Amino acid sequence: MAELNVKNLHMHFAGVIALNGISFSVKDGEIFSLVGPNGSGKTTLFNCINGFNRPQKGEIHYNRTDLLSRAPHQIIKLGISRTFQNLQNIPYMTVLDNVLLGDHSKISNRETVTRWFSRRQREREEASALDVLDFLGLANYEQKYLSGQPYGIQKLVEIARALVVKPKLILIDEPAAGMNDQETMEIAKIISEIRDDLGITVLVVEHDMSLVMSISDRVCVLDSGNVLALGIPEEVREHPDVIRAFLGEEAHA
Amino acid sequence: MKGRHEDENLKWIPFLILLVFILPFILRGVTFSYRYYLFILNIAGIYIILTVGLDLLSGFTGLISLGHAAFLAIGAYTSAILVDQAGVPFGVSMLITPLITGLFGIVIGFPALRISGMYLALTTMGFGFIVRRLIIALRQWTEGASGLEVSAPQLFGFAFRNDWHNYFLIYFFVIVSVVLARRIVKSKLGRAFMAIRDSEQAAQAAGISLSRYKLVSFFISAVFAGFAGVLFAHTSKLITTDHFDLLLSIKFLIFALVGGIGSIYGVVLGTLTIVLLEYLFIPIFKDWLLTMLPIEAGDIQALIFGLIMFLFIIFQPTGLYGMWLKMRIYWKLFPFNPKKRFT
Repeated sequence: MAELNVKNLHMHFAGVIALNGISFSVKDGEIFSLVGPNGSGKTTLFNCINGFNRPQKGEIHYNRTDLLSRAPHQIIKLGISRTFQNLQNIPYMTVLDNVLLGDHSKISNRETVTRWFSRRQREREEASALDVLDFLGLANYEQKYLSGQPYGIQKLVEIARALVVKPKLILIDEPAAGMNDQETMEIAKIISEIRDDLGITVLVVEHDMSLVMSISDRVCVLDSGNVLALGIPEEVREHPDVIRAFLGEEAHA
Repeated sequence: MKGRHEDENLKWIPFLILLVFILPFILRGVTFSYRYYLFILNIAGIYIILTVGLDLLSGFTGLISLGHAAFLAIGAYTSAILVDQAGVPFGVSMLITPLITGLFGIVIGFPALRISGMYLALTTMGFGFIVRRLIIALRQWTEGASGLEVSAPQLFGFAFRNDWHNYFLIYFFVIVSVVLARRIVKSKLGRAFMAIRDSEQAAQAAGISLSRYKLVSFFISAVFAGFAGVLFAHTSKLITTDHFDLLLSIKFLIFALVGGIGSIYGVVLGTLTIVLLEYLFIPIFKDWLLTMLPIEAGDIQALIFGLIMFLFIIFQPTGLYGMWLKMRIYWKLFPFNPKKRFT
C-alpha cells in the first residue's frame, strides 16, 4: 500500500519555527490538501518531502522508504514528483523540451547516445511527453518557446513536467495562484483527472478555499507550523479553530 | 502528430558543409595570397572547436570560465610531449589528450559545485595563472618560456605539412564538434545543462544531480578545449606560454558573446567574425586609426575588442545569431509589423 507518512516533523530556520511537530499520512489514491495562511509552513513541508530542506527532527517515509536520507534528485526515482509555487520553467526551451526535462530520470545514458542515430527512438522519447501535453490540453504548444507564453500555460507546463515520469505521488504547490475563475475551474478538473484517470496520489497546497473544498478527499489545515485540523472538507470547514484562524468569522457561507 | 524535428530547417546544412570544403579551392582560384587566408581560417577553426565547448559550459550550464586558455595550453603541451617525447602516434594522442584535459576540467569543476558567477570566474582565472607557471616550471619537458617546437600532424602515414593540408584536417573536426555539440544540446544532457542554468530547483526535482552534471559539463568543455589544443600545437609548430594568457580566455568569451552565447551556431559565427576582424580588418584600419588616436599600435586590438564586447552586451545581448533570427522574422513578415520586431 503506497502511503506517505509524515511523523512529528520539526523544522526551524534560525529563530523562525516553520514546522512544529507535524504528523499526518496520505493514503494511496487520495487528493490531500494542505491549507493555511502565509508562513504556516506548507511549502517548507513540501521542501522537506522533496529533500530541499532538512528538518531538525521527525521522519518522512514513503512506502517505508526513508525520504530524509535522500538527495533531492533521488526523490523522483521513488515516484514522487513536484511542481513549484514560483514558476521554475526553463524559458529558452520549447514547451516539449521542458516536459522532456521532467523525463530525465527515465531516459538511460545509453538511450542518450542511441537516439542520435535513431529517429524512432527520438519519437518514442517524445511520445510520452506529447501524451501528457494532450492530456493537459496543450497539444498545439509543443513547438513554442516557453518565454512569452501566458502564465496559465506555463503553470500547466510545470504540471506536465511533473506528470511525464508517471509518478505515483505528485506534489502540487499552489496550482491556482494568479489564475482567474475559469482557469481555476480547469485546474480543479485537471487535478481530479490526474487522480481519477492516471491513478496518481495528489498532495496539493492551495489558498483558494472553494477549489480545495471541491476536489479534496481530506484537508489538513496548518497554522504557524502546527496542524490545526485534519479531516474531510465538511469537518474541517465547521471546525471552530479553523474558522477563527484562517477562514475568518463570516466564512460559513 | 507532427514531430518536432520536422519543424527545424536543416536542409541547408549539407550545402554549408560542402561550402566549407570547396572554399579553399575558391580562394585559390580568386586570390594569389590564399595561403594567408587559409592560415586565418585555420586559427578560426581551432578556436571554433574551443568556443563551442566553452558555450556548452558558460552558455548552456551557466558556469563562467576564464580559464579556457589554460585548457588549450594543457591540450597543446600534453600532445606535444606525448607525440615528440614519448613517441605516441598523432592519431592516438588526438584521442588521449582531450581525455587528459577533461580530467583537469573535472578538477577545476569541483570548486564550481560551491561557487558561481564572479567567484567562479576568479577561480578559473587563477587556474589559468597556475597552469602557465607550471608549464614554465616543468622546463625539462616544456622548454619553459622559450617555447616548444612541435612536429606536424601525421595521420595514417600522411603528413599535414602546410596550411592547405591543415585546413581540411581542422575543418573536418570543426564539423564533427559542431554536430556533436548540437546533439548534446538537443539531448537529455543539454536539457539538464539548461535546467541547471535557469532553475536548480527544477533540475533537482526532475532528478538531475547538480554536482554530477556540473562536473560533466566541465569535462565535456575541457575535452573540446583539449582537442583544440592538440590541433593548435601541431598546426602552429611552435607553442609558447605567452600565447595562453588571460586575454586569450577573455577573447574566447568575447567570441561567444558576440556570436550569441547559448547557441551553437551563434558562437561559430562569432568566432569567425572576430578572428576575421582581428587578422584581416584591423591591420587594414590600423594605420588610419593611429593617425586619429594617440595610442600605441599594440593597444588597438584590445581597444577594439573592448569596444565590441561593450556594445554587444548593451545593444545586442543575443549576439549576431539573435540578430540573424530577428532579421529572418522581419523578412518573413515583411510588409506587416516591421518596426516592433527589431526592439
